[in-house]
Amino acid sequence: MTAVLRSEWTKLWSIRSTWWCTAVYVLVVGGGGWLAAAGTDSAPRADVAVQTALTGFGIGQLVLVVLGALVMTSEFASGMALASLTVVPRRGRLLIAKTLVVLAYCLLISALLAVLCALAARTLTAVAGGVRAGDVAVLRTLGLQVGAAGLIGVLAVALGTVLRATAGAVGIGMALVFVAPPALALVGTPLAARLSQSLPALRVGEDAFLAVATPWPVGMAVLAAWAVVVWVLGAVLFARRDV
Amino acid sequence: MIELAGLTKRYGSRVAVDGLTVRIEPGRVTGFLGPNGSGKTTTMRCVLGLARPTAGTARVLGRPYRELTEPMRRVGVLIDPHARHPGRTAYRHLLALAQSNRLPAARVDEVIELVGLESVADDRVRGFSLGMGQRLGIAAALLGDPDVLLLDEPVNGLDPEGIRWVRELLRALADEGRTVLVSSHLMSEMEDTADHLVVLGRGRLLADVPMSELLGRHSAVRVRTPQGPLLADALRRAGATVELEIDGALRVDGLGLTEVGDVAFLTDVRLHELSRVTASLEAAYLALTDDDVEYRAVAR
Repeated sequence: MTAVLRSEWTKLWSIRSTWWCTAVYVLVVGGGGWLAAAGTDSAPRADVAVQTALTGFGIGQLVLVVLGALVMTSEFASGMALASLTVVPRRGRLLIAKTLVVLAYCLLISALLAVLCALAARTLTAVAGGVRAGDVAVLRTLGLQVGAAGLIGVLAVALGTVLRATAGAVGIGMALVFVAPPALALVGTPLAARLSQSLPALRVGEDAFLAVATPWPVGMAVLAAWAVVVWVLGAVLFARRDV
Repeated sequence: MIELAGLTKRYGSRVAVDGLTVRIEPGRVTGFLGPNGSGKTTTMRCVLGLARPTAGTARVLGRPYRELTEPMRRVGVLIDPHARHPGRTAYRHLLALAQSNRLPAARVDEVIELVGLESVADDRVRGFSLGMGQRLGIAAALLGDPDVLLLDEPVNGLDPEGIRWVRELLRALADEGRTVLVSSHLMSEMEDTADHLVVLGRGRLLADVPMSELLGRHSAVRVRTPQGPLLADALRRAGATVELEIDGALRVDGLGLTEVGDVAFLTDVRLHELSRVTASLEAAYLALTDDDVEYRAVAR
């Protein structure tokens, strides 16, 4: 398994799109966070200040949808899947390796960016008592964001596995996490609000980012459920379908 | 060793491979021949677990391919020269494949040198010609120094020098006792490369014979005599099929060299020539697949 993980890690970093995606992600999340923190003079609590600085993740995570989907769909688009599956014929193993590599990428880069955003809040936003590293509410806010980014990556790999086409996977991924939740929130009826809450929205901690707000345990559970269900569907299809 | 037993693959109502039973033995180059659409690639995909057979089984080294862990050390595969990501360099492509089977990175440099891609190893494969793509694919197949090689149309797109290189490579690998299965629709190529032939037509097995036997089976006797009609009648009475060639000689099918000579002696005709004509693989193959060409150009 470690061999397949190494191979997938090499594959991930040996194509240009990964570097472009990373650059855009860092720029949007880091830059956006810094600007948001700089535009907020003061906040009532440390975690609120940090939450504001994490705003960039709201749009930045779209990059993770693209990257996660591409890890799978580029294999089918290029024909690489034939080579990948002849050297790793156990398909479940290949899918797990790809998923773990994307998960690691999302968690790693997002964690670095989250810390950067917290530093921006600490430096630029005035809070009584300051933004301290040991603050439980701050740590939870950062942890939720990093965790959500990881789940978005898994969901994107799963969509790529089910749909096998880049346009379809990225389109549906964006609709699910970015377009539909705020659109349904705008409709305003109770049913639409429920639907909005039941979609895997890009949750910036407890800030619903234009969608209908949910308590964080519910929001994370919904996102995790989507990621797991679509991933299992993808795994079943991947094991059965001809390449 | 590759064993197929009743291998069948249907796509909807179309039967791509139809009850194929054959064994590919080690120590020789087996040519896998058939017209376009005859099921060669589908068969290879079923062998490799890329496609699931509708019925029957395919085993490589005694096991279904999908059950092999780290198969590169046992089986080398070239299924499609485009089975690569265009944005990756040749080196990284091979490195990722090698890593997945715990093969050392040094092996990547070795195969790159072996196939002659040193100068473009760090170029993205997007710009590779078909011939360079084939070399890269062959490099990938050789990475694990495998006992079994499955190569789908490996010489397609190669220049004459490259074709000769592949031929010598396959010969050397077979001589080392490995199992080598090479598909092609290029007859002339197979005639110089393969020891044994498996011929498909519309997904069915048409022949599983040594190259020499196939060529021999489609050979004929050529006989020239000033008393053509007399000899032709005698030969027909002896059960042969006789055709008149352009230069006036007779082409005799169904009787051996000796029998034709004996018939001529008993009929008391003078012979000016008596020889065996060996059919080219091309002719033998056309005779085999004549009824089985799926896509035929219609003369108008």
